Amino acid sequence: MIPAKPRETASAAGEATSARGRRRALGLLALLGLPALGVGELVAHVYFSERAPDFDAWREVAAPLAAMKQPGDLVVVAPGWADPAARRALGDELMPLRDAARPDESRYAAAVEISVLGQRAEELAGFREAARQERGPFVLRRLVNPSPARVVYDFVDNVAPASADVRVTDPPAACRWNPRARIAAGGLGGNPTFPAERFECPGGPFFNVGVTVIADEEFRPRRCIWSHPPKDGEIVTRFRGVPLGSVIRGHAGMYWMIERERRGAPVTLSVRVDGEAVGEATHADGDGWAVFEFPLGAHAGAAEAEVEFAVRSADYTHRHYCFEADTR
Amino acid sequence: MKRSAPLAPSDGLIALAFAAAYVALLLATAGDLGYARDEGFYFFAANRYGAWFQALLDAPRAALDPQSVDAAWSVNHEHPGLIKSLFALSNLVLQKRLGLFAVEGTSYRFPAMVLSGVGVALVYLWGTQARDRLAGASAAALFAMLPRYFYQAHLACFDAPIVTVWALCAYAYWRSLRDGGALWPVLTGVAFGLALDTKHNSWFLPIVCVSHAVGMEVRDRIVARASAAGAAPAASPARAGGARRPLAALAAMATIGPLVFYALWPWIWRDTLPRLREYASFHLNHEYYNMEFLGRNYWTPPMPRAYAPVMTAATVPLVTLCLFAAGLCAAARERLLHPLACAAARLAPEGGRLALAAERALAARLRPPADDPGGTALLWFLAIAAVYGAWFSPSTPIFGGTKHWMTAYPFIALFAGAAFSAAVRRARVGLRALLLARRGSGARAGVATRAAALARGPLVPALLGAAVIAAPIAETLHAHPWALSSYTPLVGGAPGAANLGLNRTFWGYTTGAVVAYLNEHVPPRGTVYIHDTAGPAWEMLLRDGRLRKDIRGVGAVAGADFALYHHEKHMLGQAYQAWVAFGTTSPDHIAGPDGVPVILVYRNRAR
Repeated sequence: MIPAKPRETASAAGEATSARGRRRALGLLALLGLPALGVGELVAHVYFSERAPDFDAWREVAAPLAAMKQPGDLVVVAPGWADPAARRALGDELMPLRDAARPDESRYAAAVEISVLGQRAEELAGFREAARQERGPFVLRRLVNPSPARVVYDFVDNVAPASADVRVTDPPAACRWNPRARIAAGGLGGNPTFPAERFECPGGPFFNVGVTVIADEEFRPRRCIWSHPPKDGEIVTRFRGVPLGSVIRGHAGMYWMIERERRGAPVTLSVRVDGEAVGEATHADGDGWAVFEFPLGAHAGAAEAEVEFAVRSADYTHRHYCFEADTR
Repeated sequence: MKRSAPLAPSDGLIALAFAAAYVALLLATAGDLGYARDEGFYFFAANRYGAWFQALLDAPRAALDPQSVDAAWSVNHEHPGLIKSLFALSNLVLQKRLGLFAVEGTSYRFPAMVLSGVGVALVYLWGTQARDRLAGASAAALFAMLPRYFYQAHLACFDAPIVTVWALCAYAYWRSLRDGGALWPVLTGVAFGLALDTKHNSWFLPIVCVSHAVGMEVRDRIVARASAAGAAPAASPARAGGARRPLAALAAMATIGPLVFYALWPWIWRDTLPRLREYASFHLNHEYYNMEFLGRNYWTPPMPRAYAPVMTAATVPLVTLCLFAAGLCAAARERLLHPLACAAARLAPEGGRLALAAERALAARLRPPADDPGGTALLWFLAIAAVYGAWFSPSTPIFGGTKHWMTAYPFIALFAGAAFSAAVRRARVGLRALLLARRGSGARAGVATRAAALARGPLVPALLGAAVIAAPIAETLHAHPWALSSYTPLVGGAPGAANLGLNRTFWGYTTGAVVAYLNEHVPPRGTVYIHDTAGPAWEMLLRDGRLRKDIRGVGAVAGADFALYHHEKHMLGQAYQAWVAFGTTSPDHIAGPDGVPVILVYRNRAR
């Protein structure tokens, strides 16, 4: 057998040519690809750093928002992280605390979504677009709720002596209304703010009933009635002359930093209408901002009723309980 | 890593220039950076240590009394004393005696800045020695222009210093293997001691070095046996010094390291073992702080395993990451293929399976890589792998973000530098090929020849270098003073990261960004709720004169005139405290990068 030397030589020459081709291709890749990558990243950096409107630019939406928004409309910002810029620019009149720390969106007939960067507010996903306007980087859309709830009475709006009183049951004592209480806030890692207007009960500053805002399991703001259970018995908030819908619906939760530890005792909220129990909701740690709804049966539609919310717990340690409710 | 280049005298000067330029840049940009939470604690500790140093000068015997030692050094004893001692000495000597700095806070920060500059210089030297000057220079530049590292390099903290000292120990170990002799093992031991005395990240160093020594030995044995069996071409001469060199370095780490550690940390001079146990236990059982990642607040295990890789990709410039990946792949191909093929060849029985026989043939054809007694690529890889490895455990806390794996960054930059150097070589080939093709297609020969000469000159590296470093420089300088809020274009910058739910800030340092607003709007002797800013960090802003001295920081929003809110998902309740206390949801002032709110200031309208 004669070795196939010419074929081997041809093969070696082919390999060398192929290697040269590879080197050239890699050379061109380095020559063109690397600058393209570097310059491309630089351009992308400039693009992304200028893409979102600056904080003062949010003032531009005030006029179109005022034109689009109707009384009672909710204002929502998408993405949510831009919300503080909108609140700064638009102020409390357009974005009041009551809306910013809403229990949910079910009561709103419509909302105006201010959107930047092509984002959408997830909570308005079921709403129908009724109007739309673009202003610079902002897109304003008026969205209509297909089935808004009609709230007859909001208990959170009525925590005041004109319509409510508060007592503890064991030992029985009335909680005094103080319109100028010393505001107390827990600071870093501490309790929510106890407002200046609140009912003060025996046992110390934590035992009060007033309207505050807690952070729920997603750290969203929730406006609610602070109602820390007492050591023994119940803390009872009674509303008088309440017009009733067909249900009492609400949410309850605790400041999430406390609740997430899942070490506390359950807290029970009992709701009584004209002395009759209509429902009980027990909140266990980890439930988060949980909804409850009690049908009112024969009480439904009453023009005036007395409604009591009684809160108790087997162990009152760190029970930063807070609830909101309405009748609809 | 094809060669180990000797350093020229000019390399020393270049390294010095890198260090000096970096420190100068850090000093020039420190003025608008607020003080991080941890800095506040270290200022306090440094002051106590400084008082002890002063006492040591004034009355040494009394200062060395065990009770005096403990009284001073028990402060912040969850971290070793070396770097805080440097903060203290810098403040005592450079500020109080020499008055070098415009503000006092900078005197505490200066040692970490210098160490950061040394880190950049070290990367240059190592890259130059392991590869070439272009690799060293590009690695140093890419390392210096990492936005998060640049931020940390300003701080009176340990995170940037440990990056330098960690790399220094690895470098000394590498020199021990490469050069032999007694000096480098001794320096390895000393550097390890300094690392132990800097931060507990140093505990990973023995893992890296031992793994490296074992890896080198295994590789040598595989290749040697394959060569002896005739399955592969003869490998390069036996590794210089064999296993002796790594053993010498490791022995020095085991002996000299602890001695240096002990000598430089007076808190462990007494009750040494119980105190060391306490120190170790603090870090091994560290509590979990909150950290947002992809929209979720993590505060207890299991932690997300993707955290370190995702956050690295989101915060390290893409061009740096791509070069790193290219450098790593090239090194793996160059260094791994031959021993793997040799191992496969050893396993392949005569007439065995086809695949193994093919490996055997491959091993016979492959040339062994150039001799590298330092095992450079393996060492760099292990330095990265060991650090990142910890974050694949779901029990490793993720608070602190990127700073906890920054010790890997010099090695990422070194791989990137090696890839850049290789890319320049390839680009020269590509350019020549382009120009030759033009000549072949009728271009004038003289022009093409001159252009080919251009391809050999400094133009190619200069242009490629500029293209590569432009984005990292732009991102790093743009990120200042918001580095913990900054993200790369890969995730859409700061707004994109906010959309994704990546952490926006922590440590309360962004108070520095609103001092001008506070100075203008807070009434005389007014109060400000300082939220996440640590008390001593706030105090330093006052001592510096950056904040009006009559403005009082308070610990609760109730009754305050203004309230700060540094945005972290789990801290939103702090903003709500201000809403209720001040009766408004509308912040009076906002600051943050690229339209992303990071710090809000609420104003009490009842005042």
